Amino acid sequence: MAMPVEMEERGKVGALIEKATNSTAAEVDPRLLKAIKSVVRFSDSELRLAAHTLMDLMKRDHSQVRYLTLLVIDELFMRSKLFRTLLVENLDQLLALSVGFRRNMPLPAPPAIASTLRSKAIEFLEKWNASFGIHYRQLRLGFDYLKNTLRFQFPNLQETAARIERERRERERRTREILQSKFETLKMNFSSVKEEIQATVDEIGECLDIVRTKEEGVPHVLLDDEDFVEFRSSELRQIRLDSLKEGEKVHENSDNKVVFDALRELYKLLVTKHLVSVQEWISLLVRVEVADNRSRDSMLKELIDIRNSLMSVKKDCEESGCTLPKTLNKNKEEEEDFWEEGNFGLTENGSTTEPEKRREVQSSNIEKKSKSVEDWNSKKSNKQSGNLAIVSASCKVKAKDKECSSSKGKECSGSENSVRSELLAEAPVLRWGSFMDNWGSVSNKDTLLNQKGLEFDNHWGRVDYDAVIPAEKIAELNLQAILYQENLGEIQPCRAPLKKGGLCQRRDLKVCPFHGPIIPRDDAGNQINQNSSTDDTDPGLGSDLAEQLAKQAVKNVRERAKEDVRKRKLDKHSLQREKLARVREHNDAVLRDAAIASTSRSTVFGEDMGETVGENPVGRNKLTLASMLRKKFTTKDRLARRLLNTRAAKATLRQMTQGEDVTYRDAFPNQ
Amino acid sequence: MWKDIGDREMGKIRPNSFSNRIKSNRISSLQLSNNKDIVSPHRGSINSLQVDLTEGRYLLSGASDASAAVFDIQRATNYEGDGLIAKHKCLFSVDKQHQKGHKYAISSAIWYPVDTGLFVTGSYDHHIKVWDTNTTQVVMNFKMPGKVYRTAMSTLATSHMLIAAGTEDVQVRLCDISSGAFAHTLSGHRDGVMTVEWSTSSEWVLITGGCDGAIRFWDIRRAGCFLVLDQSQSQLGQRPPVLARSAANKVSVSKSLSAGQNLLVKSRVPQKKYANGHGMKQSTIGRMPSKGSARQRLHPGMLSTQDRATAHYGAVTGLKVTDDGMYLLSAGSDSRIKLWDLESGYNTLVNFGKVRLQASKAIQLAVSQDSAQVFVPCMAVVKAFDVWSGKMSLTFRGHYESVNCCWFSSQDQELYTGGNDRQILVWSPSKPITDDTNGRQAKDEDSWSD
Repeated sequence: MAMPVEMEERGKVGALIEKATNSTAAEVDPRLLKAIKSVVRFSDSELRLAAHTLMDLMKRDHSQVRYLTLLVIDELFMRSKLFRTLLVENLDQLLALSVGFRRNMPLPAPPAIASTLRSKAIEFLEKWNASFGIHYRQLRLGFDYLKNTLRFQFPNLQETAARIERERRERERRTREILQSKFETLKMNFSSVKEEIQATVDEIGECLDIVRTKEEGVPHVLLDDEDFVEFRSSELRQIRLDSLKEGEKVHENSDNKVVFDALRELYKLLVTKHLVSVQEWISLLVRVEVADNRSRDSMLKELIDIRNSLMSVKKDCEESGCTLPKTLNKNKEEEEDFWEEGNFGLTENGSTTEPEKRREVQSSNIEKKSKSVEDWNSKKSNKQSGNLAIVSASCKVKAKDKECSSSKGKECSGSENSVRSELLAEAPVLRWGSFMDNWGSVSNKDTLLNQKGLEFDNHWGRVDYDAVIPAEKIAELNLQAILYQENLGEIQPCRAPLKKGGLCQRRDLKVCPFHGPIIPRDDAGNQINQNSSTDDTDPGLGSDLAEQLAKQAVKNVRERAKEDVRKRKLDKHSLQREKLARVREHNDAVLRDAAIASTSRSTVFGEDMGETVGENPVGRNKLTLASMLRKKFTTKDRLARRLLNTRAAKATLRQMTQGEDVTYRDAFPNQ
Repeated sequence: MWKDIGDREMGKIRPNSFSNRIKSNRISSLQLSNNKDIVSPHRGSINSLQVDLTEGRYLLSGASDASAAVFDIQRATNYEGDGLIAKHKCLFSVDKQHQKGHKYAISSAIWYPVDTGLFVTGSYDHHIKVWDTNTTQVVMNFKMPGKVYRTAMSTLATSHMLIAAGTEDVQVRLCDISSGAFAHTLSGHRDGVMTVEWSTSSEWVLITGGCDGAIRFWDIRRAGCFLVLDQSQSQLGQRPPVLARSAANKVSVSKSLSAGQNLLVKSRVPQKKYANGHGMKQSTIGRMPSKGSARQRLHPGMLSTQDRATAHYGAVTGLKVTDDGMYLLSAGSDSRIKLWDLESGYNTLVNFGKVRLQASKAIQLAVSQDSAQVFVPCMAVVKAFDVWSGKMSLTFRGHYESVNCCWFSSQDQELYTGGNDRQILVWSPSKPITDDTNGRQAKDEDSWSD
């Protein structure tokens, strides 16, 4: 009973492997793989057979088969000890077949799959060596050989993974440390901060109180007057209602201006500083890991309370209707109020630092500009060296002008207007260009490339923060670029005499396409010969004539020679054409013969084709292993085949006729 | 095995036979050793390997990068993988950096046979150098006329300290360590001499194999060579004593037995006469020195036909004399291995099957003790053949490129092989099951997930 089962099984694993590797897919069919594993798992003989079959399959002359086989091998190799021992015996062969490192045994056909096969094999070898190398000297040897002798590039998966893991852990540790330190500082001045916030909230409350009490004094006189007017459309009514509502709100006037100012100030403080920082603290507390959870929780609770109260106060403020500074002023506020007093230890990281940086950059730019102008000045005009101080001052003033557009600056610049205008009068007017940015300054310093305040990290991979643009490159970049401008002069007309009268009015730079080079001509269109003045006068007319005649003669001779040459060429052409025609004729004849000879066969062939197609309609577009190897047929191939066919047919024809002859002769020897 | 031990205790088996039995058992189970790694410091192919003959402990290797190294094969320098893998790093190595080191590839590195205080290296830079092991300094330097292919020292010698050197040159030179000069120049080969080997039965007899395919025997006390092996002269089959010896009775190769062999040979000679038409004369050529007269008569003007005899078509690339000095194994670039009966000088016609041997380089054969097995580097594998039947018994697969040399350490029954892939591999008997099941063996097990 056991024997037949075994026999059946024996065939089974071979068939399974055969089936699994006979596919064009990039993966082994997982169900087949599972079947193979389950069959092999319980029987050592099956395993041996499998190893044998797999090694045989590795010898197939097809990379796809080898590739799938290798995948199966890897599956079994990672699982079975017996399989490993069987396989490492012939490891050099396996590697030669999968990596193809032996020159006399390159990997077989589809080259794309061959390359994936190679990379996969190398990857597998590394994996095997990492996990089982200690038990199998052969694995170590193979790995060592490929790595150190043949210098194959191993993917080094493990090491890479370890490195990434290490980096990640490092990053986490750093963030944890930062959080920890922040938490410590927060714990230190938690009470003071709380008090501060409380004070602000209280002040706001007081301000609101004041405003509300004042509000009661405002009379609602206007309401009655406007009741008269009829409003037809609902929209208009809506507008009216809105305006009424608006009217109910407290409006700012000269009386309560102070209060409103204070309120505005406090609101700003509340929104931009306290609320933000409280939010930050909450997130910090949520993220931080500390030993005593209790204090943290209590702090968190308090902070959430504070936030809620802040939110409600904020709402109150907004409802109170004072025209609160909105988006328009916000930027300015951020820059001026918040950041100037904001040497707050806790809000120094992340995006909040960016405005500051930007500001720094701006100011430094401005400085630079003013400095460069100074430099230029000092170079340009030595005589004005006395004014230098003033000039530079004016520049600085100008810079300030930009920053705060107050009337203060105007006053300052007013006094120095004369100097400025003088300088302006002298200054060259240039088109704008980036070279202006550091006009006249000769910077020998290399510029750091990746320190411009943008966080490149994590967007484009690792960033080299020390990358430097060398000074000469920067100088190159800052060269003044000028577009070439040609100065267009008047282009002279050709002025050659025309047949129908008049002069040619074409304007060309040098050569007129109809009348040759443009030369100075008189009003009638005759050329004014420059050297005629020397030539013409002395030898007189006769010599001129002779010369002309000689020229004519030479011309005639040349023309004749040319004619001859042309004739010869024509002859040659016609000869060639004749030859070609003959060849074509011959070809035609051959093709005709072929057509006649191959008709019967080709019809049969066509029928055959039809039959096969009819039998297996899917067979055509189904991908098979052989189809991967097959070349695409080109027209050339087809023609070649066709010609071959005709030749063969001719040959058979000849033979047959010969045979007939012979039989004829045999039959009638007397004749 | 336990039965054998019992038998030995009872006196049923002689101790010698018992140990031989165990040794041959171990040899038949040689395989690539997983727990003994020799860390090769060489950057070129290993051309020569030898374990010292006194202690059987120090392995000397010579490589193509002009370096030679010495390893302690008994004691590992460090362990890896929880003590599973013993790494044997070289004790020292001399290479091009050494101020008096060789310039080009070392083709041969051998120990001084008496102790491990000296070793000799021959190189393609035309020099043979004698090194002091302890100071790693060159103590003697011989300039040769051409590339040195092989050097050899006699293991038996008590009255001379000669290094026989086979070089590109047609002459074989003997370098005398005691005087530092060439003692002999042996001429007779018509081409370079690939391999030299001293006889293991007489300290005066030197065997050389040349690129001209000749194997010549020299008695260094006399001029000229006294024997050229001829592949066309063969004796059919093995001589009976060989059969007798290779059968059960491997006790010892005693003098009395060999005397008996001689008798048997003589009794068989007449038959041979009929068999291949060669007379007694040739068979007496091989007689060792005692029978000088016959050889004397033949030798200086040896018949030119004899002088032109060849042992192989193509070059003779490897020679190895069996331990008892009665047989010679030769390998040629014609991919043949031949076993010669030194007694008669005949080819024994043992068929070693179809093998492929490296043709361009000298190869180093190894013979197991009691000459049962010969280890032959056949391209990337090493094959073990039964010496008497020529049957292949084992194949050692592990090198990734051609193997150049192998050495069998009869003390540990270990085989060392060195090849073009710069590795020195150790092949040791598979260990009997040891009782370390403490986790690290458990790692290499089946792990079926489904």
